[in-house]
Amino acid sequence: MKRNGLMLLVAAALLLAAWGGRAPVQASPTLDPGIAAEPALAQGEPVTVQFLTWQDEDSLIALEKMAAAFVASDPQYANVSIEFTAVPFEQLFPTIETAVAAGAEMDLFAADGPDMKHYAYSEAVVSLAPYYTPEELEQWVPQSVEEGSFNGTFYAPPLMQSCSLMFYNQDMTDAAGLEPPQSVEGWTMDEAWDAWLKTTVDDSGDGVPDVWGLRWGQGTWQGDYEHGIMRRSAGPVGSPTYQGVGEDGITFQGYLDTPEAIASFEDYRAWHIGDRAVSPREPIAEIFFNKQAAFYVSPDNAIGTINRLYPDGDFNYGVTGIPYYEDGAQLCHTGSWHVGVSPQTTNLELSVAIAKFFAGPEGSQIWYDTVRQLPARVDMLNTLPEYQEYPQQMFAEGLTAIGIPRIQTPGYTEYQQIFAELAQNVSQGEGVEVAPLVQDAAVQMEQALAKYEGWQEVEPGS
Amino acid sequence: MATVTTAAPSAQQSTATRRIFNWRTRQMLLAFLFILPAIINFTVFRYIPIAASIRASFYEYSLLRGLGDFIGFDAYIRMASDDTFWKSLQVTSLFVLYKVPLQIVLSLALAVFLTRETFGAGIVRSAILTPMVTSVIVASIIWAMMYHSQQGLIQSILGVFGIPRQTFLSDASRALPAVTVMMIWKDLGFSFIILLAGLKAIPATYYEAALVDGANAWEAFRRVTIPLLMPVLMFVVVTQAVFSFQVFVPVYQMTRGGPLDATKVLVYYIYQQGFRFQDMGYASALSVVALIIMIVISYLLMRWLRPQT
Repeated sequence: MKRNGLMLLVAAALLLAAWGGRAPVQASPTLDPGIAAEPALAQGEPVTVQFLTWQDEDSLIALEKMAAAFVASDPQYANVSIEFTAVPFEQLFPTIETAVAAGAEMDLFAADGPDMKHYAYSEAVVSLAPYYTPEELEQWVPQSVEEGSFNGTFYAPPLMQSCSLMFYNQDMTDAAGLEPPQSVEGWTMDEAWDAWLKTTVDDSGDGVPDVWGLRWGQGTWQGDYEHGIMRRSAGPVGSPTYQGVGEDGITFQGYLDTPEAIASFEDYRAWHIGDRAVSPREPIAEIFFNKQAAFYVSPDNAIGTINRLYPDGDFNYGVTGIPYYEDGAQLCHTGSWHVGVSPQTTNLELSVAIAKFFAGPEGSQIWYDTVRQLPARVDMLNTLPEYQEYPQQMFAEGLTAIGIPRIQTPGYTEYQQIFAELAQNVSQGEGVEVAPLVQDAAVQMEQALAKYEGWQEVEPGS
Repeated sequence: MATVTTAAPSAQQSTATRRIFNWRTRQMLLAFLFILPAIINFTVFRYIPIAASIRASFYEYSLLRGLGDFIGFDAYIRMASDDTFWKSLQVTSLFVLYKVPLQIVLSLALAVFLTRETFGAGIVRSAILTPMVTSVIVASIIWAMMYHSQQGLIQSILGVFGIPRQTFLSDASRALPAVTVMMIWKDLGFSFIILLAGLKAIPATYYEAALVDGANAWEAFRRVTIPLLMPVLMFVVVTQAVFSFQVFVPVYQMTRGGPLDATKVLVYYIYQQGFRFQDMGYASALSVVALIIMIVISYLLMRWLRPQT
């Protein structure tokens, strides 16, 4: 009887397994610009466009202003409203995936540049190549066009660009007798570390600094954007360490775990644990803006945050270059947010118009005025007076002089997940050897990304 | 004639039977209508997803690209050599073993203490129940702040006793116990309220009889309270074991499975595989295994705790 039951269970499982088979592949999202008419728009009926984005106060304020400007830009959009749904940064990727897979109402979404390749590979974003001429693509810096493209086809326009340099609290550096160079070249890692140690202050004498020397990276998340810089900086330009990943975008052994990259991870450990610690082992939210850290590696959106939090100007700050290894290379990761049009949209023409407006001259200007981050538009970089003088000029210079895109692979999310775990394990794994952690992470990355083998041969939209 | 006289009672009987049958049918139909919402709920939100998961576990499957090739039992075979899966199973088991016994003992002690309507008992009961109605995500954020090695409230309390600052969530040996303490605090109210109701349902006459027989308080607790409370205890233990096995939110919010996988519980690992590594097929296989484990645990616990007649 029991045997019969087991047989029945196995048979049921096999039946379930055989049920269905391969799901129908979604229609190619590379749509003909002319096919999607919006009758509601034409008839003047109210149209609501759903826009999924990440949770960030400054960015949401900017997006709302851009939406209002879009509606006011043309009488035909007077009946359009754009609804923003914001989710925390870490949940954005699975939320977009789930929304597309479930066919949820979503017309547009904002996504981090490196993830766009995954969306394009998975046909989760509409190609906007038919909507832009090659000349129009030149309105943005080449890094942005590359980050918004997949195998040579353009998918998503950028909202902005970025390059992380090192901010410092000038009151604290003055107190420590430090004069950080106000140039992109900045300090080497050793010089910077000395400065971080001098500004790590324990006034209360309880063994825990009241002010830390360094917060490397925005927020409290140990993502690749900032925390992945050190390992690549450890190698000279063109070396496997500097490249960060093999040409195929899925090989990490020999790139992540080179001796110099491992040495940089050992430094990363020492920043957080031990006699030369300069950064809290457990991240503290807003540590730089609360004046609990002297140095802060971040893109220039930190200027917008300082202006918002200290409107009276009582926060003296300066900017210096991002520290680098003397035997390696100085670099900052580029890339930022792009606007993608969902294949689920029932308002294709309107959604494309919104994406173009947001990334166009007017939208980018509003974004910049609110968020104060490096524009992706060449004309703005060349004409905005702030980018002609210190400190913002350094970010524009950094972008062109030392800026490189993050590793280019459709498996960036998987890579970043494993990288963030590695960074957490290195910074908190007291007593555990660093080298095996890094080597193991390289193997895990290759296993997780093996499914993308041959992605460079995939025809976009096929 | 004879035929008529014999046929008449039969027809009456038949009509009566039909009436009873109709009445029963109507009652059954009514009962079915009452439970229909529950059946729909369970079918749509439980059984169909379970069936879909079992099916997906035999395919290469990602959210965006849908079902791919049929791979048979490959995902289950892969699990056998997946160190992280075994580690997550170990972490989950430890979490259940830390949490459930401690929570049950604590809630039972509190329930026994608060059965009597003493001064302030209502306030204490409310205090115990408050965490139960607090959102687990909010509780996780607050506890992460309290645990913080530099700014946490717990550090200040330790400081009062001259104990130096401790790392809780960033220490591989302390992170899981720290999450466990938080979850005991959160779930204590649930087991407490059910055990309290169970205790109040025990007639006082049993205790009076035990007293007459010369039993002291401990003997009355052991020989009267525990046996009579066993069905309630079984319910609490089984539900808490199953719920604890599915722990996810505090790990996601407080530790992200780290450091060094010290808090990487099974459901967090399933989430990672499905939503971070785009491997929904493998995540489905892991979910199926988790379901089987929970069914086995529930069955064993129910057998073990079944009241002896």
